[in-house]
Amino acid sequence: MRLLTQITLRTYVCPSCRHGAIAGRRRLATRAGQTPDIYDVVCVGGGPAGLGLLAALRASPVTSKLKVALIESQDLNKARSWTMDPNQFSNRVSSLTPSSKAFLERIGAWEHIEQERVQDYQEMQVWDGESGSRISFDWTMDTPAFEEMRTVATMTENSNLVRGLLKRIAASGDENLKLFSNTTVAGIENGVDLGPHGPDLSAWPILSLKPSGPISEGQASSQIAARLLIGADGINSPVRSFADIPTNGWDYNRHGVVATLALADPDTPPFPPYLRTAYQRFLPSLGGPIALLPLPNNHATLVWSTTPEHAAYLKSLPSSAFLAMVNAAFRLSMTDLKFMMDVKTSSSGQTSHEDELSWRVQHTPIPAQVPPMANAVQSGSIASFPLRFRHAAQYISPRVALVGDAAHVIHPLAGQGLNLGIGDIASLSQTIEYAVSHGMDIGDLLTLERYSSERYLTNSKIGGACDLLHKMYNVPGQGPVTWARSFGLDVIDKLPFVKSFLMKNAQG
Amino acid sequence: MSSIRLSKIPSRAVRAASTAIRPACRGSQTGVTSSTTRNHSTTSSVSADELSHFSALASSWWDPMGPSRILHLMNPLRHEFIASCLAESPPPTTPVAGATGTSSLSPPPANLHYLDIGCGGGIFAESLARTIPLDPSAPAPTATRAASMTAVDPSAMLIQVAREHARLDPTVDTHLRSGKFKYLNTTLEDLLASPSPSTSPAPAPASSSPTPSPSNTTPSHPQFDMVTLFEVIEHIDPQTTTPQTFLSHCLRALKPGGWLIGSTISRTFPSWLLNQVIAEAPWPIGVVPRGTHEWSKFVNPPELQAWAQEGLMRAADSATTRGGASALEGTRWKCMGTIYVPGLGWKMVSGSESWGNYFWAVKKGV
Repeated sequence: MRLLTQITLRTYVCPSCRHGAIAGRRRLATRAGQTPDIYDVVCVGGGPAGLGLLAALRASPVTSKLKVALIESQDLNKARSWTMDPNQFSNRVSSLTPSSKAFLERIGAWEHIEQERVQDYQEMQVWDGESGSRISFDWTMDTPAFEEMRTVATMTENSNLVRGLLKRIAASGDENLKLFSNTTVAGIENGVDLGPHGPDLSAWPILSLKPSGPISEGQASSQIAARLLIGADGINSPVRSFADIPTNGWDYNRHGVVATLALADPDTPPFPPYLRTAYQRFLPSLGGPIALLPLPNNHATLVWSTTPEHAAYLKSLPSSAFLAMVNAAFRLSMTDLKFMMDVKTSSSGQTSHEDELSWRVQHTPIPAQVPPMANAVQSGSIASFPLRFRHAAQYISPRVALVGDAAHVIHPLAGQGLNLGIGDIASLSQTIEYAVSHGMDIGDLLTLERYSSERYLTNSKIGGACDLLHKMYNVPGQGPVTWARSFGLDVIDKLPFVKSFLMKNAQG
Repeated sequence: MSSIRLSKIPSRAVRAASTAIRPACRGSQTGVTSSTTRNHSTTSSVSADELSHFSALASSWWDPMGPSRILHLMNPLRHEFIASCLAESPPPTTPVAGATGTSSLSPPPANLHYLDIGCGGGIFAESLARTIPLDPSAPAPTATRAASMTAVDPSAMLIQVAREHARLDPTVDTHLRSGKFKYLNTTLEDLLASPSPSTSPAPAPASSSPTPSPSNTTPSHPQFDMVTLFEVIEHIDPQTTTPQTFLSHCLRALKPGGWLIGSTISRTFPSWLLNQVIAEAPWPIGVVPRGTHEWSKFVNPPELQAWAQEGLMRAADSATTRGGASALEGTRWKCMGTIYVPGLGWKMVSGSESWGNYFWAVKKGV
């Protein structure tokens, strides 16, 4: 869900500058006779998608002999040694669907993820702040009685996931593996024909690498050739630019405000005791939904999609006022909330937000499904990132494949961003496995078209559904749109088979 | 008769075929280029019409969206069918020198020497060559267990296309340079007429030498563990040879215990409808270039099986020891239909042999 924050942390290079840099490189071109190091798979980007793909390739006996490399501009050692207090949580958290989790188990990565820091949830409460229409998701319809409730999704910090994937890769040994940490891709160009005494690499991508920091693991070689170049390098993917793949999309003019919260004990203890719930309330007048997703030890992670102005306001509040706003957003009416978004903070630091909340909540009917009160916010965990929609025109090009955010960026309201990325790497690793066992060139279009045909439509469908939900739930007031969406929600909630179908679809 | 057929060849194609040969390639195939077509029309199974048809397709042979797309899509199934044959009954091979104590649990070594007849632009040959391990002592990376690949085709132009394309892959290029992978612009008949180099077909330094024939007399021509014949038998020239004779030649190139594996199309009403009417229809319905197939040349599985048996009896490697029905001992026959489903690709469907495309395999008795 929080994969987007990662992108905002990346250094941005505008497309025209990047083109200039690459064009300049191309003219310098590879000096004749110099053979670059040849790799089967070169993955640019060491996020969950890139590392996941590498781990999947290393895990399969068919593809484990492939010579693979990964290039990451950040320090992978920091990611390897990431650690945090048991009651502190990173604000970059993702919700993994059961099929994503199953994939991580299959490639042997799940066992390397610190289990004390992940949290399953079995129920999801979603309601409309305008009309009060509500829908709840759980698997009770598909689970026999007396069996444990099935997991809807699993929350995990991205750092925990990345560290687990790095451990999984390390466990596969270092044969045929090269991790270029602290290294940036200075340029990508096509190779040259090394004939008559060598192969013709004129259609192979050659990457020029340069260290981005003082310590670099792979400084020895500065030029590497890729049989298959994977772009797992985020929304501004240089690999995508090299392949000349256009991307379409728009900015939502919304920000996602994130924070790690500690919750009060619920009024009634959950039954069964392990039951955890995710909450999402749509706030059409404020620009998007607020969601509270469970973390271990009665913590939760917040994602509040709202306008940039509201996001800036929320971030400027002292923590007690911020908490009051979060609690209000799950309880108060749209009118009250809009009023509270304008309350000035007094110079003494003591705000009136808490007073406003405690007074107004007495006069508001509170639905049964509201989450427990948030009573503390982890210091330094409040952040925000812009919400965007992007979809590359293609995922593949000769010797190039895009995965994760390089291929698609969607609205986070359904928490599907990372799951789409994991779906990509599951499909791509199987495509590569099939190619290797059938003598196919893994960089060939005939090989890669299977990946593209498996993923493009699925990703369009889920990205489009999220976009549609965003647009439907941005119509304030009590007009026909509100009526229609509330009617739809009520109907789906009362038709178990429709709900079950939707859940299976969302699960991937 | 042969001169009449020769005159049908578009002169353009012949010129192109002879000029496409680069000086660099000439050394390896001396004498072949100048007399290719003439020789073939009299002494070989190569149809001049077919030669010109496929040479004209040369430039687009490797275009994944080009006219040969359907052939590219079928290629992975060839690997699967070969793997299924090997799983059923692997050819007897000598253990790899150095790899002692190989238990049945360890992966089998890559020690099979392949011959691909009618390799065309190298779609199958190159894909198999890619699976040859760079380190000969390493276990086979795939179930096809290739140690070497020799690919032959009568079209100089297609061999040229195949060689050019092989250079685009460093792994395949390495095999091409080391001799583990060879493209020969020759016919099967000429290959069999060539003197057998005692260390051939693949003089890979550390790998196993080809299994000697169990009989006392070593055959005077090169022999292979696996011979493949994909989409070839329906294209041979009925004027100069018969499928029967051609198959006998193929079987002569096979070591005892080896598999001859091919694919072709059956000559039935559904296959006429599918392959002639629908598949060769104009775009967007058709998927195969017009004039690729001649329905009358298609072969039904029972015919093929009969020819193969006849061929086995005739092709008993050592004229002295065995012949006749005893040559059929230990042989196997395997057949599997395959269907192209638009949008889904090729699927193996057991029992669909009479619908059109099918794979077949015959194992030579030890």
